[in-house]
Amino acid sequence: MMRRITIGAGAGFGVALGLLGATGVARAAPPIRIGVQAPITGTYADEGQGIERAVKLLAAEQNAKGGLLGRKIEVKVCDDQGEAAQAAICARQLVNDHVIAVIGSYTSGAALAAQPIYARADVIQTSDGTSNELLKHGYRTWFGNAAPNSAEAKFTAHYLVDVRHFGKIAVLTDHSSFATGLADAVVADVKADHGDVIDKSFINAGSQNFSPVLTKLKAMHPDVLYFSGYYSDGGLIRAQMVQLGMKAAFVGGDANQNVAFAKIAGPAAAGSVIINVPAPADLPYPVAKTFVAAYKAKYGALPPSVFTLTNADGMRAVMQAIAATKSVKPAKLEAYLHGMKSFQGLTGTFAWNAKGERTGSPFVAFEVQKDGSYRILYPAPTAG
Amino acid sequence: MGTFIQQVVNGLTVGGIYALIALGYTMVYGVMRLINFAHGDLCILGAFVGLSLLTGAAGSGHTGAALLLLAFVVSIIAIAVAGVVLERIAYRPLRKADRLAAVVSALGASLMIENGIMLVWGPQVHVFPAGLLPATTWHFAGATISFVQVMIILASLVLMAALYAFVNHTRFGTAIRAAAIDQDAARLMGINVNRVITSVFIIGPGLGAIGGLFIGIYYREAYFTMGWTYGLYAFIAAILGGIGNIPGAMLGGVLLGLFNAFAAGYVSSSWQDAITFGLLIAILLVRPSGLLGERVAEKV
Repeated sequence: MMRRITIGAGAGFGVALGLLGATGVARAAPPIRIGVQAPITGTYADEGQGIERAVKLLAAEQNAKGGLLGRKIEVKVCDDQGEAAQAAICARQLVNDHVIAVIGSYTSGAALAAQPIYARADVIQTSDGTSNELLKHGYRTWFGNAAPNSAEAKFTAHYLVDVRHFGKIAVLTDHSSFATGLADAVVADVKADHGDVIDKSFINAGSQNFSPVLTKLKAMHPDVLYFSGYYSDGGLIRAQMVQLGMKAAFVGGDANQNVAFAKIAGPAAAGSVIINVPAPADLPYPVAKTFVAAYKAKYGALPPSVFTLTNADGMRAVMQAIAATKSVKPAKLEAYLHGMKSFQGLTGTFAWNAKGERTGSPFVAFEVQKDGSYRILYPAPTAG
Repeated sequence: MGTFIQQVVNGLTVGGIYALIALGYTMVYGVMRLINFAHGDLCILGAFVGLSLLTGAAGSGHTGAALLLLAFVVSIIAIAVAGVVLERIAYRPLRKADRLAAVVSALGASLMIENGIMLVWGPQVHVFPAGLLPATTWHFAGATISFVQVMIILASLVLMAALYAFVNHTRFGTAIRAAAIDQDAARLMGINVNRVITSVFIIGPGLGAIGGLFIGIYYREAYFTMGWTYGLYAFIAAILGGIGNIPGAMLGGVLLGLFNAFAAGYVSSSWQDAITFGLLIAILLVRPSGLLGERVAEKV
């Protein structure tokens, strides 16, 4: 019975379509669907919302210019809460929604969980996830839009050992695939640079109570504490270090670069060093300045971190690929993106290697100021 | 030595907070045989109410201490009211129903409160204003002890002592204990059990609101999913001490804080939770009713 009704309805729909065609009513071309998979809620909500806003802003700008290939861009958003289980659900949902590409997610763990689903469905995935795990399978659909951990680790080790000459280096990480990967790479590179890693400890992300492990580290008298995890914990770690009277300097990995870091750390934030590509407001490229201004005009605030812009770059690259290939066929778009010699991104000129790893990113070490703004320490900024 | 003292202070501070929250679990369980899974979220709601007041009044010329006191008072009242409303809506209609229905209702209430906080305050991390309390620190044998830590430890001790005295040395406390043993018998003795239950839902969430505000003031941040984490720790503290037993919840909270600090400080921070839970399992194998618990198994 059910089956008969379905067939009947299908036939009716077909007839209706035929009539539409016959009467010559113009049908609008279906929109090009692009997905956003990001932590809209949860601990990293402001990062996720930054990604959503950036993609929607770019889509609206493009639609105002008539869209792409004469079709409008439609953005589908799924909240993965920065968690692997939810990320896999999002990936299935967005694939069912027939998106051709997905921007996000923010955390490597969420990107990793979604990766095989997008790869099987041949949906382009561009994310700021930087864990080396993401490159292991060599998925053709994968494009990292942020600089990889390996490059950051090399720069970090050089900065800690050769630039600042820190003697005893303590490393702290959470259990996420991104942070442990970065911490391991930093430890290996520091050793290669003949630096002294005295300890590597773990925290439970979000547990807030970091005093016990910091007390243990304090007794070891490190010159510097390097933390590879996320800003929400990093800010608190910095505050608790000062509260415990720890003399060690604080150097944080790229995921500490978020406006919330300084807010959470409070007065303790000043003097903390973060290693990342330059912050949104410090990016020297005209395209970046235009984008940041448009973002601020539309949403009344600056992007929360540079990852809003790296993900915007993912979106821009996908749009450029559609325009250049005049196609929305995944195979063509992937070939185009892999074959690009250089892409003028908001976050610098870069390209993708065969594994989908972003190549070419200028890292800097910047210091958090009393008012929460950043001052680049190394390499010394050139005049102008 | 300095490190050891520091870990004890670290452990006592969070242990005091766990204990304050655990009291809400244990009192509700004691009287109603219900595990109020929404309790952790109520506590965090307390932190958010206090936060709104503190940030809203910032720069209005109020001095730190008076403002802080006001934040505590408003937050305690608000969460006590929320506790009573929660009991009326989510638990009272199910009092005669299957035990499982009340647990499901509690879980639902937990999600409602958590998402309610997200809708009202937003999903991002909120930061408490700096300088609410003096940044004084004391140095003692190589350990650094802050004013906030001393305040939290002392206030928790005073509150717990007050609750203990109230339950054991007042007429109303006797009524609570009587209702905990047998509600029907208590009713026959002329005790208004509904009023006892309402009072339990005032005292528990009220203390929880203080715990929530302590978390906010100590860590200076609050976010909407925090209730689950702290609710879980407090629940474990209550189980550890013997759920339904008030001194047990206090002991359980403090011990849990200390275990956690020592596990992270002397063994490994990555095994911190595993060690804590392992110890909990070991204790429950030896004493299934918890450290100070009695007569839990009989009344199923």
